[in-house]
Amino acid sequence: MSSAAGASTSHHGSNSMEVPAPLLPLLSILSSLFLNLSSVFHRIPGSPIILRYIKSSYQDDPYRSLLEVLLVAFAIRTIFKGRTGGEGQGKSFIKFSEKEIDELVDEWRPAPLVEELEESDIQTLSSVPTIHGPGGTHVKLSAGGKSVLNLASIDWLGLVEADQMKQTAIDTLKEYGVGTCGPAGFYGLLDVHLRFQSEVAEFLGTEDAIVYSQAYATTASVIPAFAKRGDIIVADRGVNFAIQRGLQISRSQIRWYAHGDMEDMERVMQQVEKERKRKGGKLTKKFIVTEGIFENDGMMVDLPKVIELKHKYKYRLMLDESHSFGMIGAHGKGVTEHYNIPASEVDMLIASMANGCAAGGGFCAGSSVVCSHQRINSSASVFSASLPAMLATTASTALTVFNNQPELFNALQANSLLFRQILNKLEPTPFSVPPCDPAYITPSESMPPPAVTNNEALIHIPSHPQSALIHIFLLNPPSTLQEEEAMLQDIVDETLNTSQVLVTRARRLRGQEGLEPEPSLKICMSSNFTKKEVEKAAQALKQAITKVCSKRR
Amino acid sequence: MMGKANSRRSTSSQASSKLSTASRSLFSKSSPKASASGAGNSGTSESPVSARTSLLNVLRRPKSSHAITSVTSTNASSKHGQSFDSFNEDDYSDHGSTVASSYASSIRSSWSSRSSSSEDIAKRYENYLETPFVNTTTTIKHSEYGVCTNPNWRWTSHWDPAEPVHPEEEPQPPYYILLSTYLSYLLLIVLGHIRDFFGKRFLPKAYAHLVPHDGYAALNSDFDSFYTRRLKMRLDDCFSRPTTGVAGRTVVCYDRVSHDENNTFQLTGTTTRALNVSSYNYLGFASSSGPCADVVEASLHKYGVSSGGLRHDTGTTDLHEQTEKLVARFLGVESAYVCSMGFATNATTIPALVSKGCLVISDELIHASVRFGVRISGANVRAFKHNNLKHLESLLRESISQGQPRTHRPWKKIMVIVEGLYSMEGTLVPLPQLLELRNKYKFYLYLDEAHSVGALGPNGRGVCDYFGIDPREVDVLMGTFTKSFGAAGGYIAGTKHLIDRLRVTSHHMTYAEAMSPAVCTQIIATMSAIMGVAPPLASPPALEEPNDASSIVSRASRTFNYGPVPSHMLPSFMKLPQVVLNGLDGRDRLRRIAFNSRYLSSALRKLGFVVYGHRDSPIIPLLIYNPAKMLLFSQMMLNRFGADKTPIVIVVVAYPATPLITSRIRFCLSSSHTKHDMDMLLRACEEIGTLLDLKLAKQTMTVEQVIASAEELVASTHV
Ligand SMILES: Cc1ncc(COP(=O)(O)O)c(C=O)c1O
Repeated sequence: MSSAAGASTSHHGSNSMEVPAPLLPLLSILSSLFLNLSSVFHRIPGSPIILRYIKSSYQDDPYRSLLEVLLVAFAIRTIFKGRTGGEGQGKSFIKFSEKEIDELVDEWRPAPLVEELEESDIQTLSSVPTIHGPGGTHVKLSAGGKSVLNLASIDWLGLVEADQMKQTAIDTLKEYGVGTCGPAGFYGLLDVHLRFQSEVAEFLGTEDAIVYSQAYATTASVIPAFAKRGDIIVADRGVNFAIQRGLQISRSQIRWYAHGDMEDMERVMQQVEKERKRKGGKLTKKFIVTEGIFENDGMMVDLPKVIELKHKYKYRLMLDESHSFGMIGAHGKGVTEHYNIPASEVDMLIASMANGCAAGGGFCAGSSVVCSHQRINSSASVFSASLPAMLATTASTALTVFNNQPELFNALQANSLLFRQILNKLEPTPFSVPPCDPAYITPSESMPPPAVTNNEALIHIPSHPQSALIHIFLLNPPSTLQEEEAMLQDIVDETLNTSQVLVTRARRLRGQEGLEPEPSLKICMSSNFTKKEVEKAAQALKQAITKVCSKRR
Repeated sequence: MMGKANSRRSTSSQASSKLSTASRSLFSKSSPKASASGAGNSGTSESPVSARTSLLNVLRRPKSSHAITSVTSTNASSKHGQSFDSFNEDDYSDHGSTVASSYASSIRSSWSSRSSSSEDIAKRYENYLETPFVNTTTTIKHSEYGVCTNPNWRWTSHWDPAEPVHPEEEPQPPYYILLSTYLSYLLLIVLGHIRDFFGKRFLPKAYAHLVPHDGYAALNSDFDSFYTRRLKMRLDDCFSRPTTGVAGRTVVCYDRVSHDENNTFQLTGTTTRALNVSSYNYLGFASSSGPCADVVEASLHKYGVSSGGLRHDTGTTDLHEQTEKLVARFLGVESAYVCSMGFATNATTIPALVSKGCLVISDELIHASVRFGVRISGANVRAFKHNNLKHLESLLRESISQGQPRTHRPWKKIMVIVEGLYSMEGTLVPLPQLLELRNKYKFYLYLDEAHSVGALGPNGRGVCDYFGIDPREVDVLMGTFTKSFGAAGGYIAGTKHLIDRLRVTSHHMTYAEAMSPAVCTQIIATMSAIMGVAPPLASPPALEEPNDASSIVSRASRTFNYGPVPSHMLPSFMKLPQVVLNGLDGRDRLRRIAFNSRYLSSALRKLGFVVYGHRDSPIIPLLIYNPAKMLLFSQMMLNRFGADKTPIVIVVVAYPATPLITSRIRFCLSSSHTKHDMDMLLRACEEIGTLLDLKLAKQTMTVEQVIASAEELVASTHV
């Protein structure tokens, strides 16, 4: 009403107060409407009280009425927005009486909190080894037991046992204690974190880096810090579990491309571009998410091609180097060093300090804009206590080792190669790698294994020849996943029992992974093994595989 | 007095040498002349300056930051001339735990005739943060864990049914405060938009990352980041101050300045040691020396830093198993497992408990990690008003009767997720009533005890212990080791069946790195310090089976028997001194934090501050409201102008962690604080709170009255 009146006066300009004839009927309608409304209002029970309240409150404290009006408006808005995900008042809401609700409550039988343990679960639990005493290349599986050769721990450079690391940790303990007792925002940001951040940024050649207190949470939290609803993520189908969870949290639109297939990646990108053009949509953020060395099979990303496509189609690249950092490259800088690509080409380089550095936690390196954005917007960084000081300082020590002892990386690669050559006897195709050739690229799409030229073949290993993380897949697996895992477990047990060599199979949460990865044996090489030890381990594994596979036939 | 300023602001040599040259180039060092010149000037300029002037000085920070420490206000000094009379008496009773008179107040009169000048006070407080007033023989540093021997300054944290768990309504500020707060935000928003408008046109380079460029969409649009850039950045000096050393009773902060309106900070090269009421160091176990640190050192010699890998590969050592058994024992449940990060404990476990077709009802103020986990799980979510069980009940009735949206199929399960102690509010969950609701509506209860475990309850076992409830009543117990135990990581505890199943299905066990053995050892050492260790031959009390037939009330009233830990459960390399083994040290810690919390919370209320939360909570939020006061409060606490001048670091929390209007200061108390520290904090709050007009409720006592009657305040059932 008031707006109509306002419109009429403004229409009129300033020439006089008299009302022109054509507007008279309109005004009379308005005034009668107002009279009607006010009489309706007065008929509402309690309306005089409200009126009086408003009047007196205006007299007492005009600000308060203003505030109250605002509050009422705000409350109404909130109610209509239904903030708490309340689908309550929706279309399908059924009205029940209190008694009916009581009955329904009585009737309702919730499912048990967790299901019963299945046979396979019990087996899984009982197959988890317990290390007694320190980790490293030789470990004890029972108190006072014999030590076994350990190819199941991630320890590329043998830093787990290094005295240098222990000493750093003890020195740090004597100055910083263990926990930091607070998130980085609230006095949990220590100089040792700052130091590691600038050291790792310098090491990789990025502007800045940010430390997280767990590697898994780093990946799962960096992705949703940037990718939001409506954004587009082009991701490799073979990415690890943490990335999958990050993608899920981001609520972005996920476009998968076939694992390691760069042509498929380009096809997907073209399709995204086409769709955007067709919809005439606005520019959204686009990301590529992939891994350096894939956790699920040890393959290496074709980084030059990814970078090329990223520039061509204007994507940002999130590269998870959790396994390749400290493993690949002449100084362990990861796949960027391997391909001789500046790390600054990667927009968000995520890596673990628990694997290669044998410390704990993770970090994300990138431009200073990328890092400062995470300091405020990444939930695992904002809402969690910072990394214990000793893990940051030992990671710093690991970086010095990377820098000063490049021969360790040569030893690591030599060991991996030797291991691969021995196991190659069981593979369908001969294994020929020019050692340390950076141009070597894992053949894409290895999942259907190549044609069999070796009739004795039992396994195939898609892992990159330089990868210290080696996954062994069965060539003719049994029909069900469960049988296959049981068979791999038999191989693990056999290797341990006959040769005292500890290996493991890749553990998976079946039903929770995106693309169910096939079961595999997981071998972690270390530069700390002697040539003899590698030979012994490879032979032991070879025998165990042959034995278990022949038993099944 | 200046000597004091110097000693506290130690020059760069030791501390910053720790920063490598690499990082120094990052911080583009400015010369540490500030502190030197500040000291030089102030020796001569003794002109008294009023509190208002000090305020102005603070406003002008950082340029003149160091000058403030040298200023004494006449107002303040005259007030403190008498107010500091009583410190001698505190000192006396610090000495005299054996003094016959039990209440320090009885000897107060003999000291009050003496008055001391502000110089005396300053002199006396010169080394206050590092050296205790009394001689001690402990190996723990006073700066990490304060010496406080007076047995009267102890309290036992337990539920008194006479005190309401959750107040019906929060205290409300006067309207003018509300109005000015809204106006402040309005002004900031308008100014921000104006600056953006001109900035985009005249400084396009500074906005390059906020607008689309070269066919890339902005990583973070200017709209999304408006709050961060235009509001939060003004307060940035309160956040992320870099520190060094242990965040114990005191913490050493690096001094820093910003020359570009808080875009970047430069370290000046000097450091300031300040009283720390910000860290989650509830039981004071964050320490670099003493029995626990020694045990961790032994473990580092034996196990190293990393166990190398995932829990289900080879990440599980005997130390991890011992930790898990001990955690279960500590909490009084059958089984438990640990995770290397507290945040990830929630984020990886909740998806293993609920899935599509399940409903999660959580408190509206629940922690971000729970939201993260729930989002991964795919379950439906609803939230109830903070601690409002009526609202929860109506949500439950509605959800159960309506079933799943659209299909109306019954929910598979309903899980209610609450926190034991809310980290921004200091409120406790009304657990007894919640369990009654649970029995009626058959939901599962997931209790996040991140802040309450260790910090609450007569035995330090968290809210169950506090309310005298059998911990086995709660379906899933979650907590973190980051806080009370001075370690890192989190745990999930419950029945053996639940934990075994979760070991298989939780994401953490299969995909995330194992906890560092050193961290495990810190957990074992601190937990056994709280529990006490039974000598080898004494058989431990058996866990009794919960009797499902008895009603919730009788079960709730049955006190659970938390015994000491049998020594065979501890690793053999662990050697603890007698005072830790017999549990006296642990008990003392529990009773000190209980006293400190109740004392400060009651005292601030008496002084007229608006304080949220339960009186037994070690988290004490003091309401500030106006955004500008947050920065001022924080800076004035660090650069005190009062008589003793001891710097204090505090945490300010604002939107989005709190509602826009109720920004606050959050004190996190610790066993490591002495009563003296609390007195000092109260005096500081009085000084600054009066100046900033923060005493918005009714003041019923003066600060000296409050300090004199600490024991009575703590013992009284209401304030
Ligand atoms: C309720 C709650 N849960 C979980 C966490 C996360 O714990 P952490 O800091 O150990 O990651 C916190 C920490 O702030 C918390 O307050």
